[in-house]
Amino acid sequence: MFRNTREGLALALPAAIFSTLLFLVPVCILLSEAFRAGGSWSLQGYIDFFSTPLNRTVFLRTLKLGVLVAGTAAVIGYAAAFCIVNLGPKSRGKVFGMVVLPLMISPVARTYAWIVILGRTGIVNEAITGLGLSDTPLRLLFTETAVFLGLLQLFLPLMIISLVSAMENIPRDVIPAARVLGASWFAVFFKVILPLTKEGLVIGGTLVFTGALTAYITPAILGGSKVLMLETLLYQRVNVSNDFVSASVIAMILIVMSFSANLLLKRIATARS
Amino acid sequence: MKTQLSILALASALGTAAHAEDKTLTISVYSFAQDEYKEALYDPFEAICGCKLVVETGNSVERMAKIEANAADPVIDMAVISTQDALALARKDLIQPLDSARLSNFDKLYASAKDPVGDNMAVGYTYYATSIVYRSDLVDISSWSDLLGEELAGQVALPNVTTTQGPLTLMMLGKALGHEDDFGPVISEIGAHASDIVTFYSRSSELVQLMNQQEVIAAPVGRFAWASFKDAGLPFAWAEPQEGQAGGMNVMVMTKGNGNEDLAYQFMDYWLSTEVQTKIGEMLVDSPANKEVELSPEAADNLTYGADVIENLNILPAAEVLDKREGWVEQWNTEVIQ
Repeated sequence: MFRNTREGLALALPAAIFSTLLFLVPVCILLSEAFRAGGSWSLQGYIDFFSTPLNRTVFLRTLKLGVLVAGTAAVIGYAAAFCIVNLGPKSRGKVFGMVVLPLMISPVARTYAWIVILGRTGIVNEAITGLGLSDTPLRLLFTETAVFLGLLQLFLPLMIISLVSAMENIPRDVIPAARVLGASWFAVFFKVILPLTKEGLVIGGTLVFTGALTAYITPAILGGSKVLMLETLLYQRVNVSNDFVSASVIAMILIVMSFSANLLLKRIATARS
Repeated sequence: MKTQLSILALASALGTAAHAEDKTLTISVYSFAQDEYKEALYDPFEAICGCKLVVETGNSVERMAKIEANAADPVIDMAVISTQDALALARKDLIQPLDSARLSNFDKLYASAKDPVGDNMAVGYTYYATSIVYRSDLVDISSWSDLLGEELAGQVALPNVTTTQGPLTLMMLGKALGHEDDFGPVISEIGAHASDIVTFYSRSSELVQLMNQQEVIAAPVGRFAWASFKDAGLPFAWAEPQEGQAGGMNVMVMTKGNGNEDLAYQFMDYWLSTEVQTKIGEMLVDSPANKEVELSPEAADNLTYGADVIENLNILPAAEVLDKREGWVEQWNTEVIQ
């Protein structure tokens, strides 16, 4: 495509310089704060962070919700993606459009929709009290369940898009052939579909897990201060406590968690194949 | 002749513009109600002083950080902030004492606004009361301790301890529960009732939304947010608990060594004038610290207004908040947030 490698590098250079100067450098400077607690280089910031019970609770809650959201998105995503790739061309476009549509709406609006659904006067509580299942409305907002539902709704389309892309690359005859040869649907999924879509799962899983870890608006609105997550804690440390060391520690933990998730998913995918 | 006049007018206009460019005052203010401030304060002041106002906004942390970062060569000339933030800046030697003789409206201020953080480091320009907003058709509030009572369990929100309203709520709950001098037992009591609290809010706008959605039917809030509840269409009431109302004020400070003191004093004095304080009060933006201000009944009803109200406010000393906040936050995070 290019006459020589130099030409290609020259074209890539502006983007590389832009990314390095305006993203990597400031992020590295910010993150270095995490190792400079007390003015000297040390791990004290991390020791202090993890020695606080509240921080440990928030860390474990964030990890748990990230894993739950990514896992649930994978289960629902496989069913949705399988359905989409097996539809006719016209229906496929419409259904895929419905999946992508929420991504075009602001996360704030999408999160506020959950308040209408989960509030004391919301649809769910009206149904519960209307059916006589409870005399008083249930407390659904400001719970981990609310945050989980909000995050799942927010990031599920990313998983479906990744899996649809992966499934479209499976040869059309492979699944019928496996069935004809006597494989159950369970065996078809684990021995045919899953190995052939592992790249999509790795990409989708990383996007959903990282998104769930780093989302701010949804945990802030649906969880508030009663369901603190690392991202909402980071915001508090910067904007309320002015504690940049602790905030840098949290930022670093989030980055490590994201990269670890990606590596782990890749390792699992490689191991299976 | 006509051409000569036009040239003269243009030259005059250019001269005025150049002069205004020479005289610039940079102020740091809260972000809210900037359209109202522009109309009632900034534009009229620019017309009077023949100068240019540069308005910087942001949250308290950002604004304080900027003042500290530019301490050697101040960018901000004057700022309006909370009393505890003013004291924090004073302790870092970032602001200078104010000469009340250079403020012609100083004597018109309520006594508590004249030197609220000590050593003449600040002057109050607005008050706010804090009490409990509640749904009068669903519940009756007579004491701050009602917030932790059985009737309100699962239907009450409290301000987070890190907010301005947080320590004020602790103070009033302390009065109600018999722990006036130590907030520790109050925080423990809130922790024991944590599951009964819907949420610990950070912004009054968040609370307005929660109360309009009927998630919450009672919560402590600053009077400045009362208008948002009054117009909501639900029967909200402003409680008058037996322990009284908490209160506080926001203050003006001058950065140390900014070199623009004359213009800063002129601006501060104008802001404290009866004329400007009345205009801002009628717009329901700030409650006046100038005791000569006379507000319409509607404005008075929405603001922290009048000698009786202001003199009876329970005001938490800025030093106490500054010195003890870290401990409160630590205990709060351990016992309340969990």
